[in-house]
Amino acid sequence: MIEAAGLTKRYGGLLAVDGLDLEVDHEVFGLLGPNGSGKTTTVLMFTTLLRPTAGTARVSGHDVLREAARVRERISYVPQDMAVDIKLTGRENVAFYAALYGVRSRDRVDEVLGVMDLAERADDRAGEYSGGMRRRLELAQALVHEPEVLFLDEPTIGLDVAGRRAIWTHITDLRRRGMTVFVTTHYMDEADRACDRVGIIAKGRLVAVDTPAALRHRLDGERITVRVDRPVTPFPVDGARLVVEETDHLVFHADDAAEAVPTVLAGLAAQGVRVRGLEVEAPTLDDVFLALAGRQDEGGAFDDRRFRTMLRRR
Amino acid sequence: MHPVLVYFVRDMRRWVRGRLNVYSTLIMPAAWLIFVGLALPTRFTDHYLDFIAPGILVLTMLSAGMQGGSSLIFDKILGFFNKFLALPSPREAILFGKILFITVRGLLQATVIMLLAVLLGATIFTPAMILFAYLVLVLFGVLLSAFSTAVALYVQDHDSYAAVNAVLSMPLFFTSSALMPYDVMPAWLATIARVNPVSFAIDLIRSFAAPPVAWTSLLGLVVIACLMVAVSSFLFRRVTV
Repeated sequence: MIEAAGLTKRYGGLLAVDGLDLEVDHEVFGLLGPNGSGKTTTVLMFTTLLRPTAGTARVSGHDVLREAARVRERISYVPQDMAVDIKLTGRENVAFYAALYGVRSRDRVDEVLGVMDLAERADDRAGEYSGGMRRRLELAQALVHEPEVLFLDEPTIGLDVAGRRAIWTHITDLRRRGMTVFVTTHYMDEADRACDRVGIIAKGRLVAVDTPAALRHRLDGERITVRVDRPVTPFPVDGARLVVEETDHLVFHADDAAEAVPTVLAGLAAQGVRVRGLEVEAPTLDDVFLALAGRQDEGGAFDDRRFRTMLRRR
Repeated sequence: MHPVLVYFVRDMRRWVRGRLNVYSTLIMPAAWLIFVGLALPTRFTDHYLDFIAPGILVLTMLSAGMQGGSSLIFDKILGFFNKFLALPSPREAILFGKILFITVRGLLQATVIMLLAVLLGATIFTPAMILFAYLVLVLFGVLLSAFSTAVALYVQDHDSYAAVNAVLSMPLFFTSSALMPYDVMPAWLATIARVNPVSFAIDLIRSFAAPPVAWTSLLGLVVIACLMVAVSSFLFRRVTV
């Protein structure tokens, strides 16, 4: 549904997106990256709002440059700003987009309001809605013409826990109905739970694309910490590596901790060592993110003008 | 419903529901009409209210039109504009919606000013005059709103827009024929006033009350308005964020 080849955007000396190659099929795809890494610029190119400097992108089978109108008919874009007309009612807000998309049926407006759990408050002004409801109202607007691809830029930013959960539930529901959802986010735990695949972008370069689980496994795997009552003679364990060896505890790295734990315990039992405690920690997507994209911006001076350029262009 | 009307209805609803805006936009021109029209001790005309009423009508449209771009500025700042640009309806529809909204809003204000002028004793507003004044104000409103909306396209925040507006609006008004006829102006001011489009609109309305009608001014206004709309449409069509 989305194909990008060598997609590049340059602002003067700043390379905002650098040769992005990507294919997204019917799935929830999460684009993760630090501030200013090029997430929003990428979305703006996919949604035809920004001309790529080089490379090509096709969305729903149409070229974003040459067939921009076709692309716009088949997508919806929800920017992160939370833009709903607070002086209009929920229904008027949705009816406005329905009219602009040429959707004639009034039932369709009621239907999407119902899908987003806003039917009861449809005739209240959006100004009286909570943050979560406003975001759901934006989703209702975006869904009114049944788009093939939905672009969401930071859909859960500024929402409380319940609001976030509701948004992600709706997003995964949409995928189940066959929609492609392209979402950018800062929240690793949310991406981990809801996205089929994630891409990590840093300084405009896509540094990794995979399922959240596969990305987590790219780190040293899971950590197994075993507390013991006396020093242990090192011993080989299938599928695990001993990385820390202290008098009172050992740390193993394993690709699959569930399989390695019994072997570790058996090895210790063979030496007559009593195990006083055992802990398995899965690496989180945060760890992966920091390893791949993090700490690279430290050290350089904060460039105020460049920062503002990026904010403006986002 | 046509996309232009969809955008227009949205802006109208938002404006009408923010009641304070509606009242506040009427106060300034009304104050001009009352304090300047009735109080200024002028000698070049025995009925200054009749002389200045067309000027105040055009001033009303001038401030409504020049201020109108802020509507797009807010759409930009609040993120609506990006959503609109990603819609399949033609992008000029956004521009024409704004032109329609700003012009209609200006006409509503102008209507109140006309009523007020009649109440205060203006004698020039015959039915034919009212129709002609509307025609001129529509042309002038389209010209201004196309211009101010295009400016808003290239200005990033509201303060900058207000600055542009202030720098243009007041000089345009004071260098026009609004407050005094050309023959009592200093020569340098008369020279500027004669090429100022604001004077075109004012002279047109005045000339209808005291023929011959200044058809060349009408032609000038039509040409500038068409040019402005064409340029703005071109800019909207190629806009990226």
